[in-house]
Amino acid sequence: MFLEVEGVSKSYDNGRVRALDGAGFAVAEGQFVSVIGPSGAGKTTLVRILNGSEQCDAGSVVLAGQRLDQARGRAKRSMQKRLGTIYQDFALVENVSALANVLTAAVPDMGFFPAALGLFGPDRRDRARRLLDRVGLADKADTPVQDLSGGQKQRVAIARALMRSPALLLADEPVASLDPVTGRQILELLKDIQRAEGLTVVMNSHNLDFARAFSDRLIGLNAGRVVYDGAADTPDEALTAVYAAAPEAAP
Amino acid sequence: MTRRRRCPGWVWFLAGLALTAAAAWFTGCDVGLLWARRDHLADILRRMFPPDWGYFARVWAPLWATVQMSVTGTALGSFLALLTAPLCAAGLGAVPAPVRHILRALVQVLRSFPALILALAATFLFGLGAFAGTAAITLYTFAIMTRLTYDDIDAAPDGAFTALTAMGAPPCRAFFAAVLPRIAPSYLANALYMLETNVRHSAILGYVGAGGVGLLLSEKLSWREYEKVGAILLALFLAVCLVESASACLTAIVTGRRKAGRGLRRAIIAASALLFLACTATVGPPDFAHASLRAVGNMLLGLVRPDWAFFFQGGTGGLGWLLLETAAIALAGTAVGAALSLPLALLGSGRLMPRGAAALFRLIPMAVRSVPFLVYGLVFIRATGPGAFTGVLTIAVCSVGLVTKRFTEAIDGMDMRAWDALAAMGVPALLRVRYALLPQLLPAFGSAVLYRFDVNLREASVLGMVGAGGIGAPLVFAMNRFQWPTAGAIAIGLVLMVWLVDLLSARLQKR
Ligand SMILES: Nc1ncnc2c1ncn2[C@@H]1O[C@H](COP(=O)(O)OP(=O)(O)O)[C@@H](O)[C@H]1O
Ligand SMILES: [Mg+2]
Repeated sequence: MFLEVEGVSKSYDNGRVRALDGAGFAVAEGQFVSVIGPSGAGKTTLVRILNGSEQCDAGSVVLAGQRLDQARGRAKRSMQKRLGTIYQDFALVENVSALANVLTAAVPDMGFFPAALGLFGPDRRDRARRLLDRVGLADKADTPVQDLSGGQKQRVAIARALMRSPALLLADEPVASLDPVTGRQILELLKDIQRAEGLTVVMNSHNLDFARAFSDRLIGLNAGRVVYDGAADTPDEALTAVYAAAPEAAP
Repeated sequence: MTRRRRCPGWVWFLAGLALTAAAAWFTGCDVGLLWARRDHLADILRRMFPPDWGYFARVWAPLWATVQMSVTGTALGSFLALLTAPLCAAGLGAVPAPVRHILRALVQVLRSFPALILALAATFLFGLGAFAGTAAITLYTFAIMTRLTYDDIDAAPDGAFTALTAMGAPPCRAFFAAVLPRIAPSYLANALYMLETNVRHSAILGYVGAGGVGLLLSEKLSWREYEKVGAILLALFLAVCLVESASACLTAIVTGRRKAGRGLRRAIIAASALLFLACTATVGPPDFAHASLRAVGNMLLGLVRPDWAFFFQGGTGGLGWLLLETAAIALAGTAVGAALSLPLALLGSGRLMPRGAAALFRLIPMAVRSVPFLVYGLVFIRATGPGAFTGVLTIAVCSVGLVTKRFTEAIDGMDMRAWDALAAMGVPALLRVRYALLPQLLPAFGSAVLYRFDVNLREASVLGMVGAGGIGAPLVFAMNRFQWPTAGAIAIGLVLMVWLVDLLSARLQKR
């Protein structure tokens, strides 16, 4: 399998909050997988562990045969270079242009001094412009991100993630802060790109309809455990465990 | 795809650095000298602490006069600015364009003069005492507030105003209904900020005889009674703390960051009105004994018929040279001040330091800021002697307060999400600073430094009064000897310099 997650646990506040509790699943190359679950189920924590932002307490994450969870320093960064992540709140640098934001994704491939001086070179600039064109923002390349709408910002973030030519694209509630119409457009774009490039996508969503409509497979998370793993076109009843109140959360 | 390549940021940075280095060389900056004389400075500081506690009792009255001048001056100046600003605003069309341009030019001219020079001029009209000081603070506030307010009016969307006037509402009514509510929060916040700075400004006005604690300060400094200086500075620090915390609290309310009920609002308005009345009613009356219409006439005539020979005189004694020295002092001082501010800002940021430690470190710039800048000049001159280098040191130290505050705000306001996102893509930490943090910090740092440079230009032009170089000495000398044509030439030079720097910094701000 391309991505193998096994028995991943993570707690916060000295073990008082268990965000993930032995979660495990595997994803084949080219799949579009949605992780669904109520708020607080551990979806964000999972994505942060998958992209190396967070260290898990137990378990293993294997990406294309390499242990991501045990990698440190340079080795970890070289694995992270193969990932792209998009976020609910975009995580862009607001007061620089869309193009400059996309170009930041080229920094890991460059030497220190060219990167520090911003000498990206014509090839990378052209590629960044083409990606902005791909997400429909060719005319906004030089606009500061703060002057863009929410949907446009997420398009910039997608272009930035694609700039890495990622082996795995992670998305943490990519449309939760957008209106439904814009959200659907963004997901259609994402699906389009995923099909065309054969990308592997793991997307978090608390919106079941979107998850069903765009993914090949659902993974249901509840209180940090995988409680459903199967087809996207399953009847609602099969998902009751996902949205059941967690025992810990009950008053 | 061929596009015009913009000059990269680091080219500008290097150009600025080179200019600053030139200014430092021009002003004879000599760190070795400062280090060699460090004992002098340490000695003065040691003698200030502990202060002469018994002397406190004598400080309250002049301190009250200082607060009085700033409260009354700020209130009157802000009020006059509110009346004038609509006339200067382009969007409202209250007056024909030529009149508007003349008004704006007058405000700009007034804005070029430091409060101390205005106060000196006021003493010729109103005699020595707090009345002259109040008049100076009023004028100074008026000039700055008018500028800030008409900028705000121009920036506010004018749809509602246009709609109301189109329906036949008189412009005045439309202004009150559509424009005033929009600009009110920022107007009040600006006025409160002016109050804070004015307390510090009025603390030195006594130096030219315009009342307040300044006279006492310069007297004790020249007699080297540093224990008493310490007492005065401590009292001043307390007053500044009080005014700043009150103003911070009020600013939070007027900008809507803190909620205040109707009762509290009324209480605040009543208390402010009471304070204003108490301050205004007790300002000493003007003393016209030494003023005459002829003197006033001569003063204005000097401005109209300046000494052009002096104006165009070249060489080291000429006006151009003195102005250049003033600008160089301001530039080098601002640069050194910014360099000092950066570590202080990092230490004072709640992001990087534990809360308690950060709060303690924030006291340093606050304490540094509460000391009037001429006092630094008088202290540094004991160590490094008269000359432009002393001016640079003075400007550097008094820049620290405001610049550190702005830097800290920028650091605290940083958005770390992009930082995390870049980390997740495998960008190393230093390059993360370069790409996720610097773009957020640099504009804020740049505008803080530019703003302070603008202020420093004015402060540098009075430093000469204590022998710390620049245009101040000849200006004050000319004024005290009633050489109005010379003073007029210098004043015109000052106006031109400030105007030029204004244009430049507006260009830079756009980047
Ligand atoms: N940095 C953190 N510190 C403390 N608790 C956290 C932190 N991040 C997440 N949690 C807790 O872990 C649980 C799972 O959170 P999260 O992964 O954000 O869930 P989801 O994204 O599904 O809403 C929640 O109870 C949350 O409060
Ligand atoms: Mg979440």
